[in-house]
Amino acid sequence: MMRTIEVLIVIIIVTGAFIAVSFFAVLPWPRQVSPMNLRRLSFTTLQMLDSNYDLSRAAFETDNYTIWGGLQIALSASLPPNIIYNLTVYEVTGQTTQLYTMVDSMSNAESLGTTSDSSSYLVASSNVTFDVVPEKIGEHNGGGTLYILNCSDAYGWWITGYTSHSLAQDLYNLLSPYFSETVMVQSSNQFEQILNNNTLQGETVQDAVIINTCGEAVPIPAGYYATQGYVGGNYAKYCYILGQRVRQYNWTWASIVGYPLYYVSNTVLFASQHNTYGIYGMQLVGQAGVNAFLQGLDNKTYSHDNDGITSSSNNPVNLLPNIYYYCNYYGIYPSPSQTSTRALHTSILDDYNLNLGLDMFNRFDNNYIPGAMYKHIFDGDTDITGSLLALGLTRSPDIRLTALGILSYYQPRLYHSEYTANDTSRIVVLQLGLVGGA
Amino acid sequence: MVSSTVDHMVAITVFLAATLLFIGLFNQTIQTAVLYQRHRATATKASDLLDNILLSPGVPVNWGQTDTFPTGFGLQDPEFTQYKISSYSLMRLRSSVGDPVYYNATEQWYSNVTIDGQNFMLVPYNLALDYSAVTSMLGINNSYGFQLTLTPIVTVSIQETVNPKVVRVTAAGAGFPLSYATMSYCLLKVGTKGQSPYYDISFKTVIADETGSVNLDIDVEAGDSYALIVYARQGGLVGVGYHEHVDFNLKRYVIPFIASFENGTVLLAHSYDVHVDTPPESAVFFNATFVLLSEDFTLREMPLTQAKTFIVYGHGSDKTYENVTIPTHNPGILIVTYSSNNDEGAVLMPWGLGSMAFPVTFGGDPSKQEWVATDMRTVTVGGIAYQAEIAVWSLEGYQVIER
Repeated sequence: MMRTIEVLIVIIIVTGAFIAVSFFAVLPWPRQVSPMNLRRLSFTTLQMLDSNYDLSRAAFETDNYTIWGGLQIALSASLPPNIIYNLTVYEVTGQTTQLYTMVDSMSNAESLGTTSDSSSYLVASSNVTFDVVPEKIGEHNGGGTLYILNCSDAYGWWITGYTSHSLAQDLYNLLSPYFSETVMVQSSNQFEQILNNNTLQGETVQDAVIINTCGEAVPIPAGYYATQGYVGGNYAKYCYILGQRVRQYNWTWASIVGYPLYYVSNTVLFASQHNTYGIYGMQLVGQAGVNAFLQGLDNKTYSHDNDGITSSSNNPVNLLPNIYYYCNYYGIYPSPSQTSTRALHTSILDDYNLNLGLDMFNRFDNNYIPGAMYKHIFDGDTDITGSLLALGLTRSPDIRLTALGILSYYQPRLYHSEYTANDTSRIVVLQLGLVGGA
Repeated sequence: MVSSTVDHMVAITVFLAATLLFIGLFNQTIQTAVLYQRHRATATKASDLLDNILLSPGVPVNWGQTDTFPTGFGLQDPEFTQYKISSYSLMRLRSSVGDPVYYNATEQWYSNVTIDGQNFMLVPYNLALDYSAVTSMLGINNSYGFQLTLTPIVTVSIQETVNPKVVRVTAAGAGFPLSYATMSYCLLKVGTKGQSPYYDISFKTVIADETGSVNLDIDVEAGDSYALIVYARQGGLVGVGYHEHVDFNLKRYVIPFIASFENGTVLLAHSYDVHVDTPPESAVFFNATFVLLSEDFTLREMPLTQAKTFIVYGHGSDKTYENVTIPTHNPGILIVTYSSNNDEGAVLMPWGLGSMAFPVTFGGDPSKQEWVATDMRTVTVGGIAYQAEIAVWSLEGYQVIER
């Protein structure tokens, strides 16, 4: 009988053990077995709301009820009805002991139910993240005017595939942020005004940069300049006068392609004359044009000189390494490989008191410079009295090279806003909760 | 001595019976615990699988825009990071809900997603990925099954009113109306000049009221056929809706079949050639255009070359169908206006799934499984907000029923 009692006692003990195990080994709710990943859901919801930067905008404009309310509508509409949320925006200060300061929050429930999880998302202010402010040329040392010759009464030559107007517009877009004033010179009459040291819009004429978008041709105003510039049956003297003006006003003259000053153009003045290729409104000057310009720049006595100072052979040339640096700095990327067809001879450096302010391409035959900025400085002096940017490349012109040459020479700085600056980052925390049954 | 023996026998019998009983009871508890672990592992697998699919573009990364099959599966848009999904990779999934369509002229079966009668997305089986190939690429064949569902979060419904010049557009999300949403719409009005259809296309942007609704005044007359596409956006949430006012009893219309994702080729077939096999039938004249979805969710028209021609079914094989080529891989909508015997209408086809917010259902059938774990993410497809949901079940192990 004793054995049976012992077995019964064992049964009671094991039963107790089973009851205890059953009591403590409670099966989890289905929600715990297969939980909805609220953390990932909240993170992907934040990403979706910021896919067009609407969340970033709203996080920085919590006072704007339209934008903040729009975010709340979007959030409510994007989550399933059984999910409640609390979205809070924190300012990242980093300057005080408290790293995060609450800015604002929104919620669609008082509490977040039985299960909740959250994720955070860092947003940056659109005002500062990509903001770059260029220094203005002439901001500190005078000048700072950019004249773009966009004369409606002059034709271009060797700007094949473009018009002066389209090149002028592209140059305006590329360079105007870097200059204090940018003036489109719309006619040869306006060009005459600045040649006479008269302003067009109250800008500073002295120390200006003038870009001739007509390529190998240059606009010539009727009247004084056409009269004074016509000597010996051609208009090389006009180019001489241009050289004089460049020296007097310390201008930088930019020739964007081919021979500088190879033709003069005025559609009214030369209505019945052509450039020997059948283009009316234009007159041939030839290589006498650049010779005369350099004579004027160096204050020499004018004499008609049609001797060639350029190499017209085709030579592949490449941008120099220092120019690559400026390509990256200013974000202008022309093809690094170009074809030189009108490179100037190095003899002009000594003949006309020119110094190389910027060399853009490798030389060929040791003596030819495909593209460079020449500074004119009288012997024994230190002041610059006029400059010439001559790009002796083949047509069609790449206007980015002109922009790059001018920027690489003047080197205006770019002020980048710091991404990590105070008040530029905020953290958005989205906490999601589940409501309803298990 | 006898009583002692009886005592022993009774005790042993009772003990053995009790032991067997308790083994059974404890086994049940252990079984439940093992099952819990299995289900927990399935749930973890569901979450991992969803992230694997959504956060990888696959191999090659641009497989959605080619006519080749991938060697690695993933749906992420290769041009972006995060949960941005490729519109084209989604188009290449064989739908598990629409009835496949067989087209005699190409002798091919087509995966079919057709919404509201005249909005088609028909992808040939030789370009569409099937479920078994995808499970092999994901390394889960014979171990797990899944169904992937992508559903647009925003529903933009367009309802005609008593006044034919006014339609009511309502935008709502999963649980809330899209109040004060900005709605950009494209109205394409169809007419007939001679035998050929022509269309007038116009674009406009309006703001919805607090219920997410707005009445659009459209320049149509009663009886005009037109197609209306509306993009609604609010606070970063974007959705799209579309509506055609056509005579759905019209038996002759155009059905677009995708022929090549790489070249953007679409076959335009005569409806009789697909649904009714009784040639000959009257010609259907069509005029195809493509509207491009710009980054600000407005639409821009991109006329197609060889856009105007006709299809005759049963009068010669050379006119069985026509080709049009979409010259871009930017998302947009192919709009084909058609006319036949003085009746006209329009059909739409998304080029890039998100541009018309078509839903996607891909994979096996979870309704037959004993235990299914689900998980969801919010994603964007071509800028349109979608809810991506996965259902995963185990195909092996304890207490899993295979049918």
